[in-house]
This record gives sequence, C-alpha cells and structure tokens, in this order.
Amino acid sequence: MAQQSYEPNPAVQSIRTKAVSGRRHLRHLLANTAARYYFLFSILALCFVLALVILFIGKTALLLFGQVSPVKFFLSFDWTPEEDRFGAAAFILNTLSLTALTLLISVPVSVGMAVLTAEIAPAWLKRLIRPILDLLVGIPSIVYGYLGLTVLLPLLRRASGEGLGDGLLAAALVLALMVLPTIARISDDAITAVPRKYRDAAYALGSTRLQVIMRVVLPAAGRGILTAVILGMTRAIGETMAVVMVIGNTPQLAKTLFTPASVLTSNIVMQISNVEFDSTWNYALHMMAFLLLLISFLLILIVRFLGRKRREG
Amino acid sequence: MKFFKKITFTALAAVFAVSASFAGGASAAGKLSGKITVNGSTALLPLTLQAAKEFQRTNPKVRIAASGKGSVTGPQAVKKGIADIGACDWDASTDVPGFKAFSGQVANKVAVIPFATIVNKNVGVDNLTTDQLKGIFSGKITNWKQVGGADADIVVITRAFGSGTRVNYQAKALAGGDIVKKEKNYKEVGSSGDMKTAVGTTPNAIGYIDLVYVSGDVKAVKFNGVAATTDNVINGSYKIWAYGYYMTKGQPTGAVKAFIDYVQSKKFQQGSLKKLKFIPISAMK
Repeated sequence: MAQQSYEPNPAVQSIRTKAVSGRRHLRHLLANTAARYYFLFSILALCFVLALVILFIGKTALLLFGQVSPVKFFLSFDWTPEEDRFGAAAFILNTLSLTALTLLISVPVSVGMAVLTAEIAPAWLKRLIRPILDLLVGIPSIVYGYLGLTVLLPLLRRASGEGLGDGLLAAALVLALMVLPTIARISDDAITAVPRKYRDAAYALGSTRLQVIMRVVLPAAGRGILTAVILGMTRAIGETMAVVMVIGNTPQLAKTLFTPASVLTSNIVMQISNVEFDSTWNYALHMMAFLLLLISFLLILIVRFLGRKRREG
Repeated sequence: MKFFKKITFTALAAVFAVSASFAGGASAAGKLSGKITVNGSTALLPLTLQAAKEFQRTNPKVRIAASGKGSVTGPQAVKKGIADIGACDWDASTDVPGFKAFSGQVANKVAVIPFATIVNKNVGVDNLTTDQLKGIFSGKITNWKQVGGADADIVVITRAFGSGTRVNYQAKALAGGDIVKKEKNYKEVGSSGDMKTAVGTTPNAIGYIDLVYVSGDVKAVKFNGVAATTDNVINGSYKIWAYGYYMTKGQPTGAVKAFIDYVQSKKFQQGSLKKLKFIPISAMK
C-alpha cells in the first residue's frame, strides 16, 4: 500500500516518511510491550497452575502421614487398603525395576538406530526413517497397550508356558517400543550435531568407520544421548494406559518377569475412581502421585544440569 | 409508515397471545426448570444419557449434566452437594462389604442389571455352582479338572476392589465370599471392556461382567444349572442380578423428582431402557 502511494515530491515524501516511521515506532513499541506483557502473563499463569498442582497433590498427600507412618508406607510390602494396610514399597520397587528393564531393552536398540540414521544410512534411508520415528512418537499409548494385550501376551504365553503372561516383561516390552522413537530421534540429533572435523581428523589418523563411531562420535555425543535416555525414562515412569493393560494389576512385588504386578501409575488409575474422597486410601493414592511427581522433577533437574555442563564444556 | 406499525403491532399481539396460551396450557411440564447433575456409575450412564435426552424434549428448561466415574463417587458426590443424583450399582443407603452406608440418602430403583460369569471359549465347563465359584475366586480351586474340565490352571480375572460389578457379583454369585489375590494366574482389570478382552484372549480364564457385554470370544456359564438370560432373570430362576439406583439426599423434589419419575415411568422402562438391554424394574415383581 505504501509503495503504491509513493510520490516523488521530496517535501511530501519526507513528511510521509516521518509520519510512517513515527507510526511504525509507536506500533513497534505497542507490539513489543503488549507481547512482552502477554508472554509474561502466560509464563506466570503456567507457573501458577504448576504451583497449584504441586500444592493440592502435596497437601492431600501429606494428610496420609497423619494416619499412616511414613516408615510403614515406604517400607511395607502389604497393600491391602480395604483392611487399612498401606504399604507402597512393592509399587516403588516395581516402578524402578520396570523402568530399568525398559531402558535395558530400548537403549541399545534405539542408540543403534540413531547411529544408523545419523552415520551409516544413505540419504534416502534417512529421509524414510526419520518421519517414521516422528510418527511413532505420536501414537496414543492406549493403542500400544491394546496391541500388547491382544498380540504380545498370547506370544509370551506360548513362549513361557505361563497361564497369564502378564508382568514386568510384557510391560517392559510395550514401554520399550514406546520410548524407542523418543530416544532414537534425540540421540540422532545429538550425533548429527557432532562437528564434522572430529570425524575427518579421526579418519586422517587412519581409523576405521567403527572406530570413528565408537571412539569419537559416541563419546562426543554422550551428553545428548544421556539426555535422550533420561527423557525416555521419564516417559516410561509416567506411562499408565499401556502398562495397566499388560502388567496384571496385582499389588505384589514382581519376583519373576511373569508375576502379575502393579506399578505406581497403574495402581493409581485402577483404584482412584473406587475410593472415597476423604479416606486414608485416597490420601495414599495422592501420596503415590506425589512421589511420581518428585521422581520426574528430579529427572528433569538432572537433564538441566547435564545441559548446562555441556554448554560450559 | 402507519400501515407498517399496524402490522408490527398485530404480529406482536399475536405472538403474545400464542405464548400466553402455551404457558397456560402446558403449566404442569413447562414450568419445570433448573439444573440436574448426575454423577456416578458408568454402567448406568448410557441409561441416564438416553433418559436425559428424552426428558429435555418435554422439559426444555431443565438442564441435565451427567458424568460417569465409579459407583461410589455417585453417593459421595450427593453427600458433598456436587450432584443431585448419584448413580450407584448398589443400594448405598445400606452397608456393603468395603463401603459404609450413606446416611440420609434415599435409593431410587431405576433398572435391573443382570451379571454373568464368563469363561474363555476354550474352557469346556458349562455350569458352575455357588460353591465351585467360591472355591475358584478364593483360590482354593486352582485347576479346571477340579470342576469337571480339562487339566489346566484356572486364570482368575477380576475387577478392582470397589467396582460396582464386583460388589454385586460377590454378593450374589459368591454369596458374600471373598475374591483373594493370588501370586500367579490372577489379574485385575479396570473396566467391563478390559474384562471382556482379557477373558476373551486368555485361555482358561474366568471372569464376570454385565450380561449385555457377553458375546464373541467369551461365553457365559450356567449358574447352579440356570442359563444367564434376561428371561431367567425375570422369571426368578437366575439369581445374579442387582438393581441400579439413583441416590438422592432425602426424598427427591422438583425437577429431580420429575426426572426420576420419568426414568421409572412405564414409557421409558418398556421403551428405551429395554432397548439398552437393561431389565425394567416392574418385571421383578
């Protein structure tokens, strides 16, 4: 519009430019200020909601220790809430061992995939693999759970001779498939970001491709891969719907890979709708949710810490 | 201009006359207004939603909001004043195992819900007695051989403690007997849909479910020799069924009363309720 109404008269032009620049300045000022306040408001609103979540879960959770001693809650394996016995140790240990087992299965595979896509694969294969992995991240977890229930469990039953097949192994396999694309894609980015000169230098010294990958590229991308693993871990710890369908939901310690068991998330989702609002049972479930919150908070702190170290180094 | 004014006036007058006559004529139903909140059992939710849709057609000023979570949330929501009606799969004004009675609440019967014992279709057993079921769910009977089937471990699939289906099944099919968690071959599921999938895909599995869900890969077994059918529920020979209730704080009044009356009316009970595969309450007398 401004260009169309351009006039060669210098006086008019100068006045117009001045006016336009004045308006532009005002507009900039307004937009900047408005945007700044808008963003500030957004951040504050988000912090407020987060604080509310922590406050309310924490408040309800802490009511538990008025009725059950922390020692009993954290160390007892006896979860029989209908008879007032609230021991959450089995869930905590199951959650940790499920996460560990998941990572044991998924990390080697996903880092291998990342190396393949970033270092070895030809360009057309990279263009194929990356969108597929991105797509896999977006599949709802309940779909993985249903596939686990109808496809994986019968296979496990046949392989193990168990009657049920539910347990840590089934849950870990489903979770491993779920976190695999997350870990693979972020590791892929980390490996791609390793400067080319490192590789050139290593090749110049006469290294083989395997040596370059194992001794140079992977150590250089190490922190990035660790971040990927931790992000995968937070996803595995918080995942509920897929786990609840294949783990068996029996509140007991998983002594074997095929013992029907329960983790923090699956136990909360199974019981919360059948529990009275103001009961010890309800407080205990909130405490378990609070524990999960603390665990993922801790993991995120670790990620931030690692990120800062990388920038400094 | 004058002509225009005249027309407007006439039209307005006509509108007033018509609306006045309507208000006068439909005083009984049309006057009802307000908001009814229904909370509680997911089993009764389809019934509530259908009834609400029909009720609002004749009472457009009444707004009905219904949601489902778990049976016990119904009477709890009523107690806290969050909901006007608490849908519950058991009579919450009396004690049931695990839950104390909600005092001051009135239980309004709205439907009959039949339940069935289901097994995976590979199980050869067709009939189970109360004692056999008690044995299976308490963990004393662990092999199908012991109840006349093939030599295979029984896999027990059950609902979480506090589920309305479980409360009723324990009371009616197990005669108050316990469901005991076992080290192996025992699984808890979160909903009727999960129950059906789990029993359907697990060989040698046994579970229980609302009768309307029975189809496909699961089969309903006879209970003490009686087949699980709605006819047998109505003629009194099949015992595993329960009333579904609308819990209210004291006797219902106003719009809430009108809504419950509508759900209990012959028109709804014999029509939509039957179509949803519940059994009318009048059939049980």
